[in-house]
This record gives sequence, C-alpha cells and structure tokens, in this order.
Amino acid sequence: MPTSASSFAAAVWAILRKECRTEWRTRYGLNASLLFAITTLTSVSFAAGRLGDRADLLGALLWIVLLFASLASLHHGFVREVEGHTLTLLRLVASPAAIAVGKLLFNLAFLLVLELVTVPLFLVLMGAPPPAWGPFLAVLALGSLALASTSTLVGAIIAQTRGRAALFAGVSLPLLLPVVAAAVSGTRGQWQQGSIGSELKLLAGFTAAVLGASILLYDHLWND
Amino acid sequence: MILRGLLFAWIAAALAAGFLWAPIVPGLGPTTRVLYFHIPAAWITVVALAWSMLHSVLYLRRRRMDHDDHAAAAAELGLLFGIVATVSGSMWAKAVWHSYWNWDPRETSIFFLLLIYGAYLALRSSIENDERRARLSAAYSAVAFVTVPFLVFVVPRLYFSLHPDTVINARGKVDMDPRIQLAFLAMLVGFTGLFFWVLSLKVRLSRLERRRAERAAAW
Repeated sequence: MPTSASSFAAAVWAILRKECRTEWRTRYGLNASLLFAITTLTSVSFAAGRLGDRADLLGALLWIVLLFASLASLHHGFVREVEGHTLTLLRLVASPAAIAVGKLLFNLAFLLVLELVTVPLFLVLMGAPPPAWGPFLAVLALGSLALASTSTLVGAIIAQTRGRAALFAGVSLPLLLPVVAAAVSGTRGQWQQGSIGSELKLLAGFTAAVLGASILLYDHLWND
Repeated sequence: MILRGLLFAWIAAALAAGFLWAPIVPGLGPTTRVLYFHIPAAWITVVALAWSMLHSVLYLRRRRMDHDDHAAAAAELGLLFGIVATVSGSMWAKAVWHSYWNWDPRETSIFFLLLIYGAYLALRSSIENDERRARLSAAYSAVAFVTVPFLVFVVPRLYFSLHPDTVINARGKVDMDPRIQLAFLAMLVGFTGLFFWVLSLKVRLSRLERRRAERAAAW
C-alpha cells in the first residue's frame, strides 16, 4: 500500500519537524544536556588526566560520558508531551508507531549534536586521536543507534509514571548494559587496532531486536 | 496442606542427605556444600525471570490481571532468590578465590538479572493505576526479555571465568559423584517446589486484595 506508507513517512517527518521546532524554541533540553556532557567530560579528564597511551581506559571513559549524557536527556521527548498534556492530541493525528519513529529520529539527531561537541573534546583532552576513523565512527554510530532506540522506548514507558526523569536512568541501565559492554570493547579494540567485527554485529543485532520489539510494543503503551 | 508438609519433608531430607551422606569434592573441601543452596537459588532466579516475562507477554495479549499478578509475584521472588544466590556465591568466592567480588562472568550475569528485577519493581512501584501499571511493566519486561540474550553473548567474550562447571561442563556430561548429584537434584526439585508454592500464595493474596479493593470501591 504505497499511500499508507507515504502517509506514515509524512507523519514521521511531521513529528520530527515538530520535535526539532519545540526543542529549538527553548533549547533547554539541548543546553542542559550539553552542559551535563561537558561537566562529566571535565570531571573525567580532570580526574584521570591525559590517557593517550591507555587504550584500555579510553573506551570505557568515552562511553561513560556518552551514557550519562544520554541518560540525562533522551527521555525529554515523551515526558514533555505528558507534562504539556499534548500526548492525546498527538495520538489523534498520528499512529503510535509514527510518533515513536519520529521521536527516535529526533533522539538520534539530538545524540549526534551532543557527540559533535563531546567526542572531539574528549579526543583532544585525552590526547588520543583514533588510529583509523572508519572503525571508530562505526562503533560510535552503531552504539548511538542502540542507545537511542532503547532510550526512546524506555522514555515512552517512564513518561506515564510518577518518577519520570529520576526513574529513567535506573530503568534504562539494565537494558543498556550489553550495549555499553559491546561499545566499550569495540572502542578499545579499534584503539588497539584489533578486529571489532563481532562487536559491530552485536550492536547492530541489539538495535534490530529492540526496534522490532518497540514496533510491537508501542501500540500497547497508550491505549487507556 | 499435605503437599506443603511433603515439600518441607523433602527439603529437610535433601539437606540431611547433602550434609551427612554425600561426600565433599576434594579440591573444594567443605565449601562443596554451598552447591545445595547456591545453584538451586540461581536456577530459581532464572526460572522466575522467565516466568515473569512469559506472563508479561501473556498479559499484553490477553489483558487479564491474573497474568500481572503472576509476573509481579515471580519478579519479587526472583529478586529474593537472586540475592540468596549472589550472597552465597560471594561467600564461596571469598573462601575459594579469596575475593568477594571479581566480575567473573557468572557474577556479572547474576548482577545483571538483579538489576533487571530491581528496575522492574521500581517501575511498578511508581505507577498507581492498576491497569496502567500492569501494561507498562509488562512492556518493560518484554523489552528486557529481548535484551537478555545479548548479554549472554557479550559476557563470555569479554571475561574469563573461574567458575566451576559442576553440572554441565564443556564436554556436556554430568561429572559429579552420584551421591552429590542425587542430593543436589533433590534440592533443585525442592527449591522449584518452594518457589511455585510461595508464588501461588502471593498470587492468591493479590487476587484477594484486588477483590477487597473492588468491594470497597463499590460501597
């Protein structure tokens, strides 16, 4: 059905544009997350110093910074809808899956902006440029995809609870442990110039599994 | 009533057999006997998680509160047995490996399970509406179910294990003294019986509580 597919894409595109516009209007989410990421990065760098020759630590530190920054910010999408009482209206104009995909794309763009600032800063502060950019960026991209798809789904779940932001980090972390473990191991592997194929496959498989489960679950999340 | 008495007698007999009749493994000394508590508790931790996730998925399909009761009760019991397995394993590790905690793969995976249970129960406690709590926690459980296999693949790649494979070793054979094996299997059956008995109590309790709340609301 080409018409329904194109209307789905149109809905996703509209949601994405709406998210970007709302974010850009206040920028409080982006500002807060950037500040948070830079603060984490500063504390890590200040505490550990330059670690250019410690490939075993660099990967772990990089992903701790990225994990903290995303746990502090990626739940905004749905929480904002619930707090502004706009979710019901949104559901009138788009299907749950379209809303979810739109929010996921927004979270990905958000994470990209965050990483554009954090990652170069991390590499400079640590004095450790990656030996080859291809594998480094591949791990970063797949890891971010896994991070964003999981946090979007958990964000949709916790938006309807009382704890919300406080609950988000604790509830996301158990699901994200395999992602962090694989991403850290992959990042370390590329710094040591080893093979990282299995880590990339694992991250891609994880993302595919979570996205598949999300599509099945989003319909169940809001039907009260 | 008879079943409950039988269960107690069974566990008591298995314990007595484990301590008085079965020998100890030469390399491990008296710490052998942790296996009668530790492995059954770890087994129940996994069974409870599977049971909880199964009923979460069933809830999403059928929307019957019974399934939610099962999922919640299994998660609470799973956390309890998981703590028993972790603490007993940690004490054993101190005796044999001279360290309470070393991020051995088995330690990592049980820690991961405890985190999932904790997050699931924290999520439940933060939602007041019964139906919404059931729906959202079932959805969370279903996602967790999808991510668990990945940890099973990641962990062995990253860490080297010192954990003894007493039951099923690399050759896939049972490699135990037959007397230890008998006492151990009896404890495994006993723990499984204990789990399902307490589970049925908890499920009946939450069913009664819901009925009472409905009656109070009808007044």
